[in-house]
Amino acid sequence: MSALLEVSALNKHFGGLHAVKDVSFSMAAAEIVGILGPNGAGKTTLYNLLTGFIPADSGSIVFNGRTLRGLAPYRIAGLGISRTFQLCRPFVGMTVLENVIVGGLGAQAGERGDLEARALALLEKVGLSGKEQLLVELLSYGDQRRLEIARALAARPALLLLDEPFAGLGSGEITDLSALIRSVHAEQGLTVMLIEHKLHEFMRLVGRVIALDFGEIIAEGSPEEIVRHPKVIEAYIGRGDEQAEEQADAA
Amino acid sequence: MLEILIHGAVSSAIYAMLAVGFTLIFGVARILNLAHGSFYALGAYGAYFFTSHLKLPLLPAALLAMAVVALFAIVVEKVLVRPMRRSQLAVLMITLAVALVVEQALFLTFGSEYRNVPAFVDAKFSIGGVDVGGQRLLALGASIALIALLWIFIQRTRLGSAILAVSQDPEAADYMGIPSDRIFSIVMGLSAALAAAAGVLAGPFLTVQPTMWLLPIVKAFAIVIVGGLGSIPGSILAALMLGYAETIVGYLISTSWTEIVSVLATLLMLIFRPAGIFGKRAAF
Amino acid sequence: MFGKRIDYAGAVGFIVFMAALPLVFGGNYLIGVLTVSVIYGIWAVSWDFMSGLTGRENFGHSLFIGVGAYTAGFLNTAFGFGGWWSLPAAMVMAMLFAVIIGLPTLRLKGPYFALAMLSGAVIMQRLMLIFWEQTGGEEGINGIEPLIRSQLGFYYFALAALVLVTALLLALARSHWGLILRAIRGDEATCQAAGINVTFYKIASLVISAAFAGAGGAIYAHYQLQVSPQLFAVVTSITIITMVYVGGMASIYGPVGGAILLVLLTELLREFGEWRLMIYSCTLILILFFVPHGLIAPTWRRFRSKLRRAQ
Repeated sequence: MSALLEVSALNKHFGGLHAVKDVSFSMAAAEIVGILGPNGAGKTTLYNLLTGFIPADSGSIVFNGRTLRGLAPYRIAGLGISRTFQLCRPFVGMTVLENVIVGGLGAQAGERGDLEARALALLEKVGLSGKEQLLVELLSYGDQRRLEIARALAARPALLLLDEPFAGLGSGEITDLSALIRSVHAEQGLTVMLIEHKLHEFMRLVGRVIALDFGEIIAEGSPEEIVRHPKVIEAYIGRGDEQAEEQADAA
Repeated sequence: MLEILIHGAVSSAIYAMLAVGFTLIFGVARILNLAHGSFYALGAYGAYFFTSHLKLPLLPAALLAMAVVALFAIVVEKVLVRPMRRSQLAVLMITLAVALVVEQALFLTFGSEYRNVPAFVDAKFSIGGVDVGGQRLLALGASIALIALLWIFIQRTRLGSAILAVSQDPEAADYMGIPSDRIFSIVMGLSAALAAAAGVLAGPFLTVQPTMWLLPIVKAFAIVIVGGLGSIPGSILAALMLGYAETIVGYLISTSWTEIVSVLATLLMLIFRPAGIFGKRAAF
Repeated sequence: MFGKRIDYAGAVGFIVFMAALPLVFGGNYLIGVLTVSVIYGIWAVSWDFMSGLTGRENFGHSLFIGVGAYTAGFLNTAFGFGGWWSLPAAMVMAMLFAVIIGLPTLRLKGPYFALAMLSGAVIMQRLMLIFWEQTGGEEGINGIEPLIRSQLGFYYFALAALVLVTALLLALARSHWGLILRAIRGDEATCQAAGINVTFYKIASLVISAAFAGAGGAIYAHYQLQVSPQLFAVVTSITIITMVYVGGMASIYGPVGGAILLVLLTELLREFGEWRLMIYSCTLILILFFVPHGLIAPTWRRFRSKLRRAQ
């Protein structure tokens, strides 16, 4: 079976910083893959490279048999990769419903169909019905997160990239949201890639984990394997100790 | 040849004085100040008013003009710009509105006819067979001195390093306890005083009338595009390039074509290297 | 549905009112003022379509107006084309300028577009003066033929043009196209993530905006029967922006009201003469500070929701 997404030898430098270093991996359709790594490990940069927001220095990205490097972000989105942002970036000044409709406008013209009906259905699915006519600025943070996902799904993606969808949410909201991700995955066979720091939910959600540190893949495997992997423990716990010491010093 | 060299240097120097202030307030406070040309106009009118109406000697009149303009700029920043700073567009609108108010105020008080700003030096000097007005030489020397002073101030003093810190990372500067609001006021005053000095120095050999703010702002814009928004060395270099390019075009083809130079430079730069010659990208 | 019917009723009421004004009060003076206000309406609406919706403010709309007017003037006087050729030609020339300025600047983030438009207009005004042998310098081009001899007839023509342009741009603004433009104002990166070619939409809407500004310029040239470099002045652009702010940004219909209101008010302020522009600039500052959402569109919205509730 050929992979949905095939990344090989991807590199990105920012000045002297090697932000993404020889990253290669592949994803099969209908997988949920988690990207794990401490802050600054290059996770969001990887997303930006995959979606064309930042040009890669070298390497290749092949999605559904098409090579993505050098394509503008809107072209990549049009090929079926949707993403959310770490900080919610809704279309301010527009209603919740309009936000989701715009999410579907970039898809191929033929598939537009009844955008409004689909947007309403998506809003119901993410639990925002009744708030369709509100201005997005008035939504709570958790609701904005749900809206991001509805907006991303409106484009009928084949691959959904979520950047810390649980950040800033309460535990009840996290459970709801991960149920939502699971259900779109199950119903539509959507392939999902997920960056998250809330490890508890993260590990239960994903089928496979890619661990990054200093821009490099340090481990890859099932969640159980990853949590026992010595390099991952070092990357997390090792530096966690330092942080603890720093905090102790500061106190 | 020598003529081009000298006259090019003079116009470069005036451009540099305007562009450095324009880019400085942008780099530090992210304020794109369309009223910057008005400070230049107010400087020239101030020198004219203080000498011809208040009968002050020229040097105190010039210094007073610079001080008044700086004060005016600080008030504009505090009262009008600061409440709007969240939106880049609102800042552009409000500063443009200020520019128009200034233009109209000058027009209503002084009328639309040209005014004479007295020169510090009336003598003409002959350099290698080329006659150059003393005022032009003074403008050249004074602007080099003023920009050098500004540079030393930023690089060597505590206040200067605070300004640098704010321009590089406003948030971090905030954590370090640098009062960024006060820094903005100071920088606004400095850049306005510099523009006013350009007006005082260039006033005697340029036309002083209410709409004189407009072309300099366009030139300053071209210069900071070429030099890179927010970069002081870049804008000095770009001012030199534009000043000389205009002078050369003026001598070789016709002065009619000089205006086209800045347009072309801006357009080409935006198409091929929008980050400016030093490649420093605008930080937003 | 009811809301839509109120909108249509309002539009019809406005058109009837504007059409009836000269019949009721008469006089060539009033007709002249109304014609100018209607032309300003076209300019304000076309500005709002691009800048109001996408939030990319155009500080040099006068560039397109001047280009349109000069195109009309040249075609008519130097090449002897009949007046009706002016409109399409002016639109095409203005669109050309929109592409030249939009292409390099609108793909960039930051204030490049706003400044490039401002510079473009300033430089064009200078060029008109510098190349006076070709352009007529300060005098501009004189002896342009009128499109319609009767003053009242010309007013109705201009009013029809305004109604047409407003209806067209309003329809566009309320379609998916307008939704995309507003989304660009909201967040460009998210638009790209949603598969929207942001640069294309920005340039295309600038080109549309320029086309109608140019057409308005040609209409103005055939009304004044002459064009002058003053058309390119920054003041022209600022006047238009003030009208849009008074009318209510991004509402498209609001700026029509803003334009008519301000032109009529300035006529009343005529006795202040030289103070007129000062009053304009100060109005703009006051509006930016105290009623950033404008007067006319918000008032209409309030009125509409009251009617709805009453129903």
